[in-house]
Amino acid sequence: MIGTLRGFIQVLWDNVDTVNGDAVMLDEQTAPVIATKSLRKMYGPHLALDDATLELPAGAIGILGPNGAGKSTLFKCLLGLIGVTSGEGSVLGHDIRTEGDKIRSKIGYMPEYNSLDPGLFAIDQVRYCGELLGMNSKIAMQRAHEVLEYVGLKEQRYRKIETFSTGMIQATKLACALVHDPEILICDEPTNGLDQRARSFMLKTLRRTVKQGNRTVLMSSHVMDDVQEVCDRIVLIHKGRIVVHRSIGELVSKVEREIEIVVWGGAKKMDEALSSKGLETRRLGRVIRIKFEDDYTVNKILEAAISSGVQVRQLYEYEPDLEDVFLLIMEKLGSEIKGSSELLAIRSGGEEE
Amino acid sequence: MTSDEIDIGGGQTRMEVAFGAGDSDSEASAVVAKKDASLGAIFNQNYRPWDGKLGPRWMRNYAIFRHHVYGLITSKGHRNYHPMVRLLIGLIFLVSLSPVPMLFLASLIGGEDGGFLNKMWGVNRYNLWGQVLGFFPRNLCLWPLLTALVVGGMISDDRQNGTSALYFSRPVTRIDYTAMKFISAATILGFVIVFSYFLYYTSAIVFRGEGWAFLADTLPMFLGGVFAGLILVFTYTSIGLSLSSISQSRFFAAIGFLSIIFGSKLIAFLIESQFKTTLLYVLSPYDCLAHIGQYLIGLPLNYEHPLSFSIVSIIMMNSAAIALLVSRVSSLEVTRE
Repeated sequence: MIGTLRGFIQVLWDNVDTVNGDAVMLDEQTAPVIATKSLRKMYGPHLALDDATLELPAGAIGILGPNGAGKSTLFKCLLGLIGVTSGEGSVLGHDIRTEGDKIRSKIGYMPEYNSLDPGLFAIDQVRYCGELLGMNSKIAMQRAHEVLEYVGLKEQRYRKIETFSTGMIQATKLACALVHDPEILICDEPTNGLDQRARSFMLKTLRRTVKQGNRTVLMSSHVMDDVQEVCDRIVLIHKGRIVVHRSIGELVSKVEREIEIVVWGGAKKMDEALSSKGLETRRLGRVIRIKFEDDYTVNKILEAAISSGVQVRQLYEYEPDLEDVFLLIMEKLGSEIKGSSELLAIRSGGEEE
Repeated sequence: MTSDEIDIGGGQTRMEVAFGAGDSDSEASAVVAKKDASLGAIFNQNYRPWDGKLGPRWMRNYAIFRHHVYGLITSKGHRNYHPMVRLLIGLIFLVSLSPVPMLFLASLIGGEDGGFLNKMWGVNRYNLWGQVLGFFPRNLCLWPLLTALVVGGMISDDRQNGTSALYFSRPVTRIDYTAMKFISAATILGFVIVFSYFLYYTSAIVFRGEGWAFLADTLPMFLGGVFAGLILVFTYTSIGLSLSSISQSRFFAAIGFLSIIFGSKLIAFLIESQFKTTLLYVLSPYDCLAHIGQYLIGLPLNYEHPLSFSIVSIIMMNSAAIALLVSRVSSLEVTRE
């Protein structure tokens, strides 16, 4: 099914080392804000994080992986909340094993699950979060006003959180994470449960935090589009191992070119005609993707359409996205999944996240 | 919409305009918006950096303390206590001060040694003990209920709402979190129980115009009562908080606490009435505290078993409660609750 992308897989696989867990491919010249070396975390006999070696530069980074892959364990290790079994790591120059409190002072964490007091006004909740970081009460209040305005809740500051919609709750959680202007923002599924408008605003806000605020964002998500919209690079974790760490642009550029056509009146016949002309195809209903081999590929497609008597309603060069990249990686890793959304149902034997 | 945005002509009210304020309808005029109505400010999203300095550990801890304690006085901006909870706590505090007006009355009436009122409410060993450790009404109606109301949601709310993530994703350690929750609850209990005891003793001195001799006479037993009160506050707080830490429900913690206090006493009482032994009272937190309190204030002990049994029992109860509390707080998650 994915024969046309065999070349890409090979290139990708060259960079994936599941034996040593070394997936360090830092090409930027910038100094890493997060660095780990052979990080390993075991919960009793269960290995949650295996030999994780990373060097993350500033910017927006998507953390991907199936449920139970070890994303939350990685976050907890980076926040200095749990002791590591072996290995070492640093965040903003602070040792994750001994300087957890310093790290957490410089990091903003936006949890996936509800973590707000429903009985508080949004402004008081954000202020209290600032105070928990050691901010003076007045300054925390001032910052709470600023960040709530930034996340689009200026008019709702004095509303109780129990009256908020999911989008407003997510925005408040983001405000809580941003109140002290952290150098690194960790967002766990920031678009969870959001409608299209709220999702778009959340992603725009995260992007602005990276671009305008010059902050680093670590974002975990199951929605590839979200990651692609915000992040410059991805870290893929699978069964506790970091298997891919690359910039998205670089990954996508490695995917071979394809022509996508939408046909009418005999997709199967068309598929056979294309195959008989030596073209590699993959088909989903009336949509067929053909590997772009040379400049004559389009001519061959049109000839196949004529010979099979099929209408070609649309024909364009397909632009691969992160979802394609992700599927290929997962297939190579042995996960029989049809899409990133299916990951939600997968338990790969890791810890519960 | 402010008056800046729409100018209502001539300051006429709608009613005047609608029905005509002048001599005839012809003089009435319609409301005309002289300026275009505002369509709202354009949202201009700008990231504002902050280069302030974060305070030290005590500031973070004080924030937790203030959040929980100030919430009782004003829920605005702090932990939200239900108005009925605040009302009941206020009521308990007032009831705990009930000897004060009686002492005042006794000082007004006068008589030999202050008369009947002074005998009933004046400072003596029994009254000092009773002010903190008397079963009725204080340890039947007031202190357990107060503890149940205060500790009920102290940690269980964090479990239920997932707010533990707010603490632990910041530089707040689990030790700080537990300690500040404990201190917050103990402060509220201490304020009602020990402070009311202070007020009672002070008012007895002030209203009766007692001198240094009285102070020298009664101070040791007063201090014994203070110590007994502090042990009571500590014990009730540790048991209550441990119950709060194992559930997501305020109700469970509150009912659990009341059940332990009253249930253990009831069982011990039934055993005593059947088998004529007070030994089972070592299982009752209240009775252990009462036993220790009697010793500290200098009252004759009315339990047959040795005092050391009660002391060991209280130590074990507190150790078990704190161990449970620490264990459950350790299990509070940051990434998922």
